[in-house]
Amino acid sequence: MIGYVLKRLGLALLVALAVSAIAFFLLRLSGDAATAIAGEGARQEDIELIRKTYGLDRPLVVQYVEWLWQTLRGDFGTSLYFKTPVSALVLDKLPTTIVLGLTSLGFALLVSIPLGVLAAVYANSWIDRLALAIAVVGQALPNFFFALILVMFFSITLRWLPVSGSDSWAHFVMPTIALGYYVAPAFMRLVRAGMIEVLSADYIRTARAKGLPARSVIFKHALRNALVPVVALTAVQLGFLLGGSVVVETIFALDGLGYLAYQSITYKDFPVMQVVVLLLSVLYVLLTLLADVANAWLDPRIRVA
Amino acid sequence: MSSLQNDVILAVDGLSVDIATQRGTLHAVRDISFEVKRGETLCLVGESGCGKSMTSLAIMDLLPKGATRRARRLAFAGEDLSRAGARRINALRGDRMAMIFQEPMTALNPAYTIGNQLVEAYRLHRKASEAEARERAVHLLGKVGIASAGERLGQYPHQLSGGLRQRVMIAMALMCGPDLLIADEPTTALDVTIQAQILRLLADLQRELGIAMVLITHDLGVVARIADRVAVMYAGQIVEEGPTAALFGNPRHPYTRGLIDCIPVPGRTQPGGKLGVIPGVVPSLVGDVRGCSFRDRCAFAREACAAAPPVHRAPDGQSWRCILENAA
Amino acid sequence: MTDTTLSLPEAPEPSPAMKLLRRFLGQKAFVIGTGILAVIVLLALAAPLIAPHDPYLQNLDLRTIPPVWYEKGTWAHPLGTDQLGRDYLSRVVYGARISLLIGVSVVVISGLIGTALGLAAGYFGGRVDLLVTFLVTTRLSMPVILVALAVVAMIGGSLWIVILVLGFLKWDRFAVVMRSATQQVRSLDYVAAAESAGASTTRIVLGEVLPNIAPHLIVVATLEAASAILLEAALSFLGLGVQPPLPSWGLMISEAKAYMFFSFWLIAIPGTALALLIFAINLAGDGLRDVISPEGRA
Repeated sequence: MIGYVLKRLGLALLVALAVSAIAFFLLRLSGDAATAIAGEGARQEDIELIRKTYGLDRPLVVQYVEWLWQTLRGDFGTSLYFKTPVSALVLDKLPTTIVLGLTSLGFALLVSIPLGVLAAVYANSWIDRLALAIAVVGQALPNFFFALILVMFFSITLRWLPVSGSDSWAHFVMPTIALGYYVAPAFMRLVRAGMIEVLSADYIRTARAKGLPARSVIFKHALRNALVPVVALTAVQLGFLLGGSVVVETIFALDGLGYLAYQSITYKDFPVMQVVVLLLSVLYVLLTLLADVANAWLDPRIRVA
Repeated sequence: MSSLQNDVILAVDGLSVDIATQRGTLHAVRDISFEVKRGETLCLVGESGCGKSMTSLAIMDLLPKGATRRARRLAFAGEDLSRAGARRINALRGDRMAMIFQEPMTALNPAYTIGNQLVEAYRLHRKASEAEARERAVHLLGKVGIASAGERLGQYPHQLSGGLRQRVMIAMALMCGPDLLIADEPTTALDVTIQAQILRLLADLQRELGIAMVLITHDLGVVARIADRVAVMYAGQIVEEGPTAALFGNPRHPYTRGLIDCIPVPGRTQPGGKLGVIPGVVPSLVGDVRGCSFRDRCAFAREACAAAPPVHRAPDGQSWRCILENAA
Repeated sequence: MTDTTLSLPEAPEPSPAMKLLRRFLGQKAFVIGTGILAVIVLLALAAPLIAPHDPYLQNLDLRTIPPVWYEKGTWAHPLGTDQLGRDYLSRVVYGARISLLIGVSVVVISGLIGTALGLAAGYFGGRVDLLVTFLVTTRLSMPVILVALAVVAMIGGSLWIVILVLGFLKWDRFAVVMRSATQQVRSLDYVAAAESAGASTTRIVLGEVLPNIAPHLIVVATLEAASAILLEAALSFLGLGVQPPLPSWGLMISEAKAYMFFSFWLIAIPGTALALLIFAINLAGDGLRDVISPEGRA
């Protein structure tokens, strides 16, 4: 188990390194930082001066190593637009995105696990078909369109929830639903498929032969085994959630990392952009690592080798 | 007969199992009847697909989806299971009647420890505390020949060999001290040397605890060693039934005779000599099956076999389903 | 000894009759999905014939006319007009062209990249496999939308930039599926036979392996096309994708956002069109998967 965790950790570090390089070079190669810093309509001399002062005239590789070194020491530079240290900016926004990620993941699991279990236990019944219909329609709705429908319904028609901002829990309701519903169908299908497979396993027959009630057979003996692949999917879906948070946070002006990413991109705020891309990616790498370890821990065949 | 009623733990009367398939209804078990007395071992023998597994699953109400059972009566300790509700069945299963399956490798839940799975039924049916249940589990693991039982409780199924797992399954089935134990080919999936050990264990436990046992097997050697009575199944029917000695000594049904001829006997079967072979294949059980289902393979078949064969009974308790009144 | 005659009901699947039914339903999903898809493709191809007006023609006197089913609607503009007085039906129909073009082009690019990587990884194994797996892991850890937004913001948005960026970002699933499918096929006897008969690597890959995994490839392609269309819409919605005045559905929703309080249909119409297209593609893809491998799971 420990060897496995160490191996996964090593891979995670390598991936993080690769991501940092890509984040840096991709942004530097697709645009000129000096022009971005100087702002629109700047004179050529000013741009040249900026290039020199910021050290942007040196080879990219040198700049990358320097940037990486500074980033590793926690010095993320200063935002061009907000004029504040990027680290403070990011630390300020990170909790919001983590809360949103967790609530929307929780929402997705809360909807999809019961629905998936029901669909599997009553496979091919109307419940199963209803669950499938919800999943198929859910997957077809673009999240920004769904978010606007939510706004129309809850804020404009019912006047229950605030349209935008991030001051209270009420501001998180719609973003949570908008972000969570999109990953729920994948979970539901996986739970359903896993439960159908597990329910026909020999050990389920053993459990029934012991005279255990249906609830114990389904929830203790079947669901536990069906959930193992769900944990693995959770990591992948968290990636979708992080990406989706850019869109959803922007729509609801929820002041998190996703919104910051959007702002930094529209303002061509290089230092912030690089760090946010890196941070969201590293966050994903960490979550995958966590999910893998949890997965191994859930499966005694891996845990107790 | 009525004075014996109390001794009968399981009375199956007119049990049929149908399975819906793409080609039509498969009559896996066709109107079979038999009884098992307390403390007795009945062996159900037959080739693959003769319906012996389906019979055992039907008794336990564990048939897979798509399979349905019908019975005039399915009496367990005098109570008709075919009319009992799911709650009543659950109360009996794992408590008064228990089952051991063919595949020890997959019959245990990989996600839980042996101990967890052992205590489950005992705690449920006996309302026992965890400590009591674990004590009972350790006791039974010792009884089925597992050393350092206490340690085993914390292990997972994948850490145990097939033979050990089957011992755990046996201990699990015995947790509540059942009246009836159904063992569906409990040794088929194991190595030959382990097979003998497990069978001996089952036979010893059965005798010691006085449990009635239905042992399903295709191995006549096993039958001869541990059965009190034998029921031979062919194509979903019991074609012959009787006390073990009588049935082996004087098989009345041509199929039983054929099966017995297939067993090599040390000393009697010459090396290189021919073993008996039953020619032909089992008929399809999909759709209507008329007449004697063995007639296509039977050396004694005649026209009358196209009609349902009569059931004969001998005074020694042997009965057979054939137009022949005496041994073939 | 295993029960041969009785193995059917003991298998994990429900009864064969239900299996047949399910397969039939799977085909029904495929039929409905491809049906809707065919209609949308036809509409897109025949856009000049169907569109009642020039989708770019502005008429500020005729701004935000509601669709015909509203009281103030008119048959001259069946789906109304937008905030610049452009005919909405014409824009929606031409918008289908953009979405379909995105879906197809992105899948062609990412499919080529992913298939090549996956084939190489699955066929050669060893270090090649390690490298490709690493590439996929790295790629997966970077949110597509974020990287696409950043790159488009730097280079500047246009239809072709969006296609290229998404094409270079979305090859991961092709690679993953191809890799495992190639590994599977490779272990089959006939590939070993071809190998021992002295066939060259390229010939084996192109002649034996690829045709066998083509069905999986098509399923992935449909699902990836849907995902690419959604991404383009999201990018355009955020203003960093297809640029005005092109009638991208995502862009139309974005432009109508300011009017959503009074004219929600400006959002609802392109949104529904988008959802319907994705729904049709997913349905076709799911149905296809069921037909190819009835036991396959999502």
